[in-house]
Amino acid sequence: MSEQQPPLSKTGVANAVVATRERPSIVWLIPLIAALVGSFVAYRTLSERGPEVTISFKTAEGLEAGKTQIKYKDVEVGLVESVTLEPDLSGVVCTARMVKGANGWLTEKTQFWIVKPRIAGGQVSGLGTLLSGSYIGMDPVLDGKKSRSFVGLEVPPVIGMKEPGRYFVLRSNHAGAVDVGSPVYFRQIQVGQVVASSLDPDSDNVTTRIFVRTPYDERVRSNSRFWNASGLDLSLNASGFKLETESLVSMLIGGIAFDEPTGSAAAVADAETVFPLYTDHDAAEQQHFTRTVTWQLDFDQSVRGLTVGAPVEFRGIQIGQVTNVRLYLDEASGEFKIPVLVEIDPERFRGREAPPAESKAFIDRLVATGLRAQLKSGSLLTGQLFVSLDIFENAKPAQVVWNAPIPEFPTMPTPLEEITNNLTRLVERLGKIPVEQIGADLSASLKALRVTLQQSEGVAPALKDTLAKTQTVLESANGLIGPDSTVNTELRRALLELSEAARALGLAADQFQTQPNSLIFGKKGSK
Amino acid sequence: MREAAATALAASCASCHDCGLLAQMPASSHGEACCPRCGAELHERKPRSLERTLALVIAAIVCYVPANLLPVMTVTSLGKTESDTIFSGVIYMLDHGMWPLAIVLFTASIFVPMMKLSILSFLLISVHRRSSWRPVERTRMYRLTEMIGRWSMVDIYVVTILVALVRLGNLATIEAGAGAIFFGAVVVITMLAAESFDPRIIWDRSDPRST
Repeated sequence: MSEQQPPLSKTGVANAVVATRERPSIVWLIPLIAALVGSFVAYRTLSERGPEVTISFKTAEGLEAGKTQIKYKDVEVGLVESVTLEPDLSGVVCTARMVKGANGWLTEKTQFWIVKPRIAGGQVSGLGTLLSGSYIGMDPVLDGKKSRSFVGLEVPPVIGMKEPGRYFVLRSNHAGAVDVGSPVYFRQIQVGQVVASSLDPDSDNVTTRIFVRTPYDERVRSNSRFWNASGLDLSLNASGFKLETESLVSMLIGGIAFDEPTGSAAAVADAETVFPLYTDHDAAEQQHFTRTVTWQLDFDQSVRGLTVGAPVEFRGIQIGQVTNVRLYLDEASGEFKIPVLVEIDPERFRGREAPPAESKAFIDRLVATGLRAQLKSGSLLTGQLFVSLDIFENAKPAQVVWNAPIPEFPTMPTPLEEITNNLTRLVERLGKIPVEQIGADLSASLKALRVTLQQSEGVAPALKDTLAKTQTVLESANGLIGPDSTVNTELRRALLELSEAARALGLAADQFQTQPNSLIFGKKGSK
Repeated sequence: MREAAATALAASCASCHDCGLLAQMPASSHGEACCPRCGAELHERKPRSLERTLALVIAAIVCYVPANLLPVMTVTSLGKTESDTIFSGVIYMLDHGMWPLAIVLFTASIFVPMMKLSILSFLLISVHRRSSWRPVERTRMYRLTEMIGRWSMVDIYVVTILVALVRLGNLATIEAGAGAIFFGAVVVITMLAAESFDPRIIWDRSDPRST
């Protein structure tokens, strides 16, 4: 037990223990500070690390691990950490570290693309990357499902997701010169751009998506017409030459223009509305109304100068156009027929309140009053023909053949305008002859003649005497003017000369009629 | 084993750090022993040598991690910003065929600091374990550490010179990164650690006569 007790001193008091406790050296502050600073830096670096995303591209052109940045509005929001090939070698996968707080931007609709120098769509973009190298552009979309892996776009989006405006869809037979980035014009002001252009998988149509910026998107009405404003539009038709273009840019890279029909206030079109895209302004103008009726016009004369697209006019107002010109032999009659198909806008050809022209009764009534189709020469310069509808009062009765596959509309032969004019002139001249006055004068003369005859009754005996005398004179004269007499010969010669003179006079008269100036300047060629 | 010579420690003597005068240390530990000639404090061995060295080595190791992970230099050239860590600089040199430079950079900036830290750690451990293993070689290692310590600052010198020289505005700008500071800290702290280590301890512990 005594070993457990502390040793006692002589005075019986316990000895103090001398502790050799050392204070820790101040040098330990150095690793402490180093650890603190190091952990602070580590914390900051780690806390600044945002989410990791993977973006797949077709090619890694311009991408460099550790160098290529991801930028939005030219602000760095991420850095490419590695670029690897897809397992099946179909593309590359690029792993990138986003900045802190980028979580909210990474939704399914967020787009990534490689920004490199590009000359397209009338604008040069990404020139800065010539020197700095490519970077990955980002267009964040805040709403939507969160995502961490993306498929990069091969072509940068033309319109940012957040740009206000609306998308519309245009359908056409061919794309024309329109490409992604081509401008969209409204009254020659650029209001949008073509976003995509692709061939429909299930039809031959070309679908073109366009974007129209706010506030111009309200100009797109439900009845707006879109047409291809690409290049130069030089047309030669019955109206003569016509040259149209929207702008120099659209001449080079194509473009789309649209307009709203004047005077009609249709509702503003919804986004993604599908519109037809017409080949040119005229087509858009003519196909203002989408409803048309087709008629067949059988002409049995030459249609030289009649082209598809030639106007159909009613007294100078265009109501339709020619859509097809064909030729076939009618075996029954052995005659060649030229059926011309025309499209008529029923809306443009109607009564004030009456139902439009597609109503058969309306057309039948007009045909009964003489409505006929006729080919007319539209332009002396080009010799183009157009179809004219007009009412001919004295036309032969005819009817529309409604039961044909295409309703056949009665036609009139082309008037030979010269003949018409001449006949008109002749009739006018005939009308000017004073027939009544001539009749009156004639009857007066006859009356006078009767009086003279009555007076001559008393002269009869004397006349008889005279006649007897005359007989003797005549007998003597007979010898004088007999067939062999000199007088007879002389007289015949004189008569011949007289008839010659009369003919010359007639020639001169003709000459003066055709060339009145020859009276003054002499006959042409007489020198 | 050759015969051990008498040491100052065994004779309770200490030489002055400053003037080198050998003096007999007092028996009692009260007060501080001073050099009778120049008045400098006298120690038989550097006080708390092992503790200090250990602290500094730990600090250097801590700093060595960010020094290699953080960029030492950020080059902004024509709008293109590139941050390089020490190791990516070495890779860059190698990729561009400048392997002599790569070797220099690797040796001065990665190999040497690592070697110094390893040697100091090894010395600390061996002394702590009172190892008597090859004291001559261990002392040589210590000398090597002390000698090459200053040369690992080459990297820092290059960065500071570049930062000062390349100020061409938009064309090119070079900025020092946080890694450079940590790297400088590693170099300085290892030099201090080597300084605070007393190589005589190697011999004390391996001396069979010492207790």
